[in-house]
Amino acid sequence: MKRGGKPKLLWLQSITCNGNTHSFLNHPDLFSLLSHFELLYHPVLEAEYTLQDILEGHVDCDILVLEGAFREKGVAKGGVEISSVIEYYAKQAAHIITAGTCATFGGIFKQYDPEHITGFCFDIEEKTTRHKQYADKLISLPGCPIHPKWLGFVLMMIAQKRPIAKDTLHRPLELYAPTVHTGCARNEYFEWKVDTEGFGLKEGCLFYELGCQGPYTHGSCNKILWNDVSSKTVSGTPCFGCTEPDFPKTTLFETKTNMGIPAAMPLGIPRRAYLTVTGVVKSFKIKRFEERLIEYDR
Amino acid sequence: MIVKKLIEKIEGEAELNFSMHKGSVEDVRISFGFYRGIEEILVNKSPRDALVITPRVCGICNHAHLLAAVGALENGYENAGIAVILSNKARYIREFTLACELIQNHIKWFYMTILPQLERLTGEEGGENHALKASYLSTTITKALAIFAGQWPHSSYAVPGGVTCDPTYVDVMQATALIDETIRFFEQVIIGMEFERYLQIDSVTQLHEVQGDFGNTLHLLGTHGMAHTGQSHDRFIVFGEGLGMQSGKSIATTVSRVEVRYVKEWPQKGSTAKAVAYKDRIYETGPLARAMVNKAPIVKSLHKRYKDGLLTRIFARVHESTALLSHAKHLLQKLDLNEPSCTLESRLLADTFEGVGVVEAARGSLIHKTRVEAKKITNYEIIVPTQWNLSDGTEQDRGVAVEAMCGTRSIEEASFVFRSFDVCSVCTTQ
Repeated sequence: MKRGGKPKLLWLQSITCNGNTHSFLNHPDLFSLLSHFELLYHPVLEAEYTLQDILEGHVDCDILVLEGAFREKGVAKGGVEISSVIEYYAKQAAHIITAGTCATFGGIFKQYDPEHITGFCFDIEEKTTRHKQYADKLISLPGCPIHPKWLGFVLMMIAQKRPIAKDTLHRPLELYAPTVHTGCARNEYFEWKVDTEGFGLKEGCLFYELGCQGPYTHGSCNKILWNDVSSKTVSGTPCFGCTEPDFPKTTLFETKTNMGIPAAMPLGIPRRAYLTVTGVVKSFKIKRFEERLIEYDR
Repeated sequence: MIVKKLIEKIEGEAELNFSMHKGSVEDVRISFGFYRGIEEILVNKSPRDALVITPRVCGICNHAHLLAAVGALENGYENAGIAVILSNKARYIREFTLACELIQNHIKWFYMTILPQLERLTGEEGGENHALKASYLSTTITKALAIFAGQWPHSSYAVPGGVTCDPTYVDVMQATALIDETIRFFEQVIIGMEFERYLQIDSVTQLHEVQGDFGNTLHLLGTHGMAHTGQSHDRFIVFGEGLGMQSGKSIATTVSRVEVRYVKEWPQKGSTAKAVAYKDRIYETGPLARAMVNKAPIVKSLHKRYKDGLLTRIFARVHESTALLSHAKHLLQKLDLNEPSCTLESRLLADTFEGVGVVEAARGSLIHKTRVEAKKITNYEIIVPTQWNLSDGTEQDRGVAVEAMCGTRSIEEASFVFRSFDVCSVCTTQ
């Protein structure tokens, strides 16, 4: 970063659906945020350089945002292997942000060719050879897609030269220490182990039958809402664990159970503790939780 | 002479090889990037997993993929003997969220693809931040979508039998306010006139009333001699129904019925994208096709004068957003929240079935086909709009976009014609 100058931001894509790009465009303060940076290249926003300039290595960058899964050979743009372009800029950048689950862990597209497609520094949870080289400047922002405000937060922390506390997978704790369950509008039903009766109801918890992974998925979807208004679980859709290294799992709309008990426990909760609490609360019948919250035809 | 050009900022990139002859474009080969294998990824997964996986085909039209996927499942359930009867509430909510996604697409394309390129091409650069307008509109309209669908991009809120949300009238009022805000934005910035008055316009002679960025664009196209540029086969096809529109195909002035079973795909040499045709003929799909098949008066009037050229194609896309806004508002007014959101029991699943789902996405007809045996997907096919518009063509016909680019006077002009199709590279390389 040149003294006094704004940090130079470069956004590169490899194997992607563009979902992170479009999610970020919905940041409500996008242009005031971007005013803190010199935008070298972005997949859809007008920027200082063309893709051809970037491919030819004409610029230097301070912050590299990566979107999409990584593959060493076979993904070219304008006849240039995109992996070599990414590595070229990764070396000179002071910060590397892997934006989205694909760039971070491999994501959905990894499943097409698990042997060759990975995240940039992680292959699911395993460190790739690049991890060692880039670990000191790596920030993981998984999510399918990335939450615009999570990326906005990280970019502003960098612009203000503030340290970002991270976990072992390089995810900022501010954003990924909570689970998706934190702040869910259905928490009361979870506390009292009241299952929803099906899709399309605002009452009941989605953890027991409908596959919700919120209680063991890292992310603040229910603290920092999506599009400023909602989230999957608020709108009755189970959390599919899209921020996690193993996203996507299979049979996503059903909860895997052992003897009727969810197979995966809420994050950090011993099975015995869960069973004890469940046994206690289930022994009570709470009338309020058996009724609809609103009935319009009364 | 062959000239290569990398086209960027089109939902991914494409590489165009132009054959030039005496200063004009004679032929074009289009190639796209890396194939991502979504259809293969789906094999052996649980049928409903398609509701989570297929939106990830595309970051900008993910919601259309979700609705095509749920349509394929519901059609499959029906074929397997499970009756699927959606409540009006679920149908209206799905239509509403789809309309929001289409508007988001069209306006982003208008401000981020068409306006900057048109200004560059005509040398009339105003220095305005068009992306700021695109971002504001997109943020506003996808917020209305997310009130019901939880988030955009990549919601999975449509499930067999309905939708997962259970909105309140507080939600409906919020969504209505966001639609009103979008209409206000249209009035003050895009069309520069009263919305209701705009909807009344049905002839080219009234178009001078349109001001704002849309009016300027029409003016630029006209004064730079581009109104007639970019004509193609003048054949249009629409498979999806809903959003106040019918399916059909339009050739010359005749509109007739279509059936999905006559759609055929085939691999193309040297391309990661398959070509697609209807009864061996190439058709254009998208907003212009929808307007032609549904005989939207103002688009028909433009078409009479300028055929399927740049002006008509660009007009149809922005114009469709206004019709969708009006339709979306109407849907919210009709919602009866007392109806069930989802009419199928979540555990009711068919074991073995085949189903087809068809939806009108921003860029045209989107088709999903699923085959399920013993509760596992054994085959999944996705036919995206860009395949219709951007294929190499058949022996008789050039592809739609290729035909439109042929005869243009420069590579820059040809590239602009290419962009007028609102190309989605990521969908094409699903």
